[in-house]
Amino acid sequence: MDAAQFLTIFISAVFIYNVILSRFLGLCSFIAISKQTKPALAMSLAVMFVTTMSSIITWLIYRFLLIPFHLTYLRTISFILVIATFVQFVEMVIRKISPPMYRFFGIYLPLITVNCAVLGVAVLNADMFFVGNKAVQGSFYYSAFQGICVGLGYTLAMLLMSGIRERLELCHVPKAVKDFPLGFIIASIMSLSFLGFNGFRF
Amino acid sequence: MEILIPVLTLGFLGVVFGVGLAIASKRFAVQVDPRLDKVHGLLPGSNCGACGGAGCFGFAESILSGKMKIDACRVASDQAKEKIAEVLGRQLIKGLKSVALLHCNGGTKVKDRFLYQGIGDCVSANLVLGGQKECVWGCLGFDTCVQVCPFGALTMSKEGLPIVDFHKCKACNKCVQICPKKLFSLVPLAGKVYVACSSYDLGKDTRAACSVGCIACKLCEKACKFDAIHVVDNLAVIDYNKCTSCGECVQACPMKTIRTRG
Amino acid sequence: MRRYLQEFLKGIIRENPTFVLALGLCPTLAVSVSVINGIGMGLAATFVLLGSNIIISLIKNVIPDRIRIPCFIVVIATFVTINELVMKAYSPVLDRALGIYVPLIVVNCIVLGRAEAYAQKNSVLNSLFDGLGMGVGFTLALILISAIREFLGAGTILGHTLIKGFEPVFVLGMPSGALLLIGLLLGFFNVLKNRRA
Repeated sequence: MDAAQFLTIFISAVFIYNVILSRFLGLCSFIAISKQTKPALAMSLAVMFVTTMSSIITWLIYRFLLIPFHLTYLRTISFILVIATFVQFVEMVIRKISPPMYRFFGIYLPLITVNCAVLGVAVLNADMFFVGNKAVQGSFYYSAFQGICVGLGYTLAMLLMSGIRERLELCHVPKAVKDFPLGFIIASIMSLSFLGFNGFRF
Repeated sequence: MEILIPVLTLGFLGVVFGVGLAIASKRFAVQVDPRLDKVHGLLPGSNCGACGGAGCFGFAESILSGKMKIDACRVASDQAKEKIAEVLGRQLIKGLKSVALLHCNGGTKVKDRFLYQGIGDCVSANLVLGGQKECVWGCLGFDTCVQVCPFGALTMSKEGLPIVDFHKCKACNKCVQICPKKLFSLVPLAGKVYVACSSYDLGKDTRAACSVGCIACKLCEKACKFDAIHVVDNLAVIDYNKCTSCGECVQACPMKTIRTRG
Repeated sequence: MRRYLQEFLKGIIRENPTFVLALGLCPTLAVSVSVINGIGMGLAATFVLLGSNIIISLIKNVIPDRIRIPCFIVVIATFVTINELVMKAYSPVLDRALGIYVPLIVVNCIVLGRAEAYAQKNSVLNSLFDGLGMGVGFTLALILISAIREFLGAGTILGHTLIKGFEPVFVLGMPSGALLLIGLLLGFFNVLKNRRA
């Protein structure tokens, strides 16, 4: 286990290969929810929780179930099953513990299931930390940490975007670019600025 | 054998998840009052927050638990409220209706003291030295209140002042809260007379900035037979508990500041 | 027959999944760096869409309502796995180019969205043509975007340099350019839509 590897994972997942602005995962919810800061923050925290937990659970299933039985081709199905089950579980818990928060999320909570970022990070872990069907040393911790960092990167992009869009609400924009097109153009400028982190090494 | 292993593995996973979810749904089951959905369905669903509840659903919960009165909702029709009272087996106690009124008649009559080039929003403009108008208490004329009204009851007139449509206004309080000059107030439906000015400046300063501002001459106070209007801090204020909308003050006011609403 | 043709054409223009419904934008932007990748992804998504629409409209009466979303996901995941294996075997270059976006077709909003909104309520043949139409519409949108990105961003079309000495606009090959392009294209199609209305 390498401390430098953890740092690399953090820098790349949050800044250089930011999950939304560089890998395009989670764009739908990004553009749809980032109009106000409060829902954006709540959604990002929920996504961070789901990505972390599903990174852990999918690692366990990949390592102890799929690889020993030579069933790595079943990873897509099993990963998405894990994620769907887990999101359903989280929905139930939130509904019980805090009904206002449940209603606050509305339809966006079940929509985390199809958030590309969640499945994306699970597949990324399987690709990055398993070489030739064997787990790299310390891959469990790397996978869990990458789950957290992807969530952090998502949160960073969401907060920046919602801050900008809240101010844009007050301006008059041409009808054709209202909402979606303008959101994408802003995201493109943000993505351009994140390019500045390229080449950051230790 | 080659087909059996994946089938068994996936089947095993499916069973584990299915059973897990079934157990969880029992463990985290939520008891829902069946009347809650019915009450929620009868509410207008505009989520304006005027009742003080957390949206229509929060309000429905509060009615059921008895924390709030049914009549606190200012948007629902009387029939809807009667139906809700029926569902809950309660009596409907009625409150008084009000509407929002703009206490300003300046608009384009008031000159600008500087050219404002910034975000076209009253709250933002107010941050710049209190706005671009000569009268620092008056309406800035951007359409922030128009945008915030959930019922479309406000429209911006050519004179740069928002006009309230009294049929659409549900007194939800949003314009009252958003106006940075605090020009809106909720007035009882019976109150037909109002002071269309909010300036606390001395009479001569108000006169210099706006031709229809209150100059605190106290002629209205002398004209009123019901002791309903007083000049406090250089501005006339109507007490709607005493006002009978007789209109004497409207006649008496030399600046035409006090007006009758349609 | 007319009806089926209409369902098919609807997916291409009037309800184009990328430009009108704004669904499935994640893989659209990621793979549209070159036209070959765009066509490959479009064909893969069309295959999954066809398969899942047909199967789901076949079994729609058997699935209990409360667990329909997980069932849909399993059906879609099956077709995506078939697609993955076929790609790895017959075109490993394309598979490596598309990277993690091949398994991500599972959570492509278009596939699940059409299953939820259409295949659940319509007959098999209607769903078949709807799936085909949506898939072709998606592919055409991908070709449009990747043609612009490849030509202006790398100076080539399908790997062939068209104009000698053309200095490409590198940013279009990067994520930033993709986001800018999709924003402008969406705005452009909005203008067309508003003009027609």
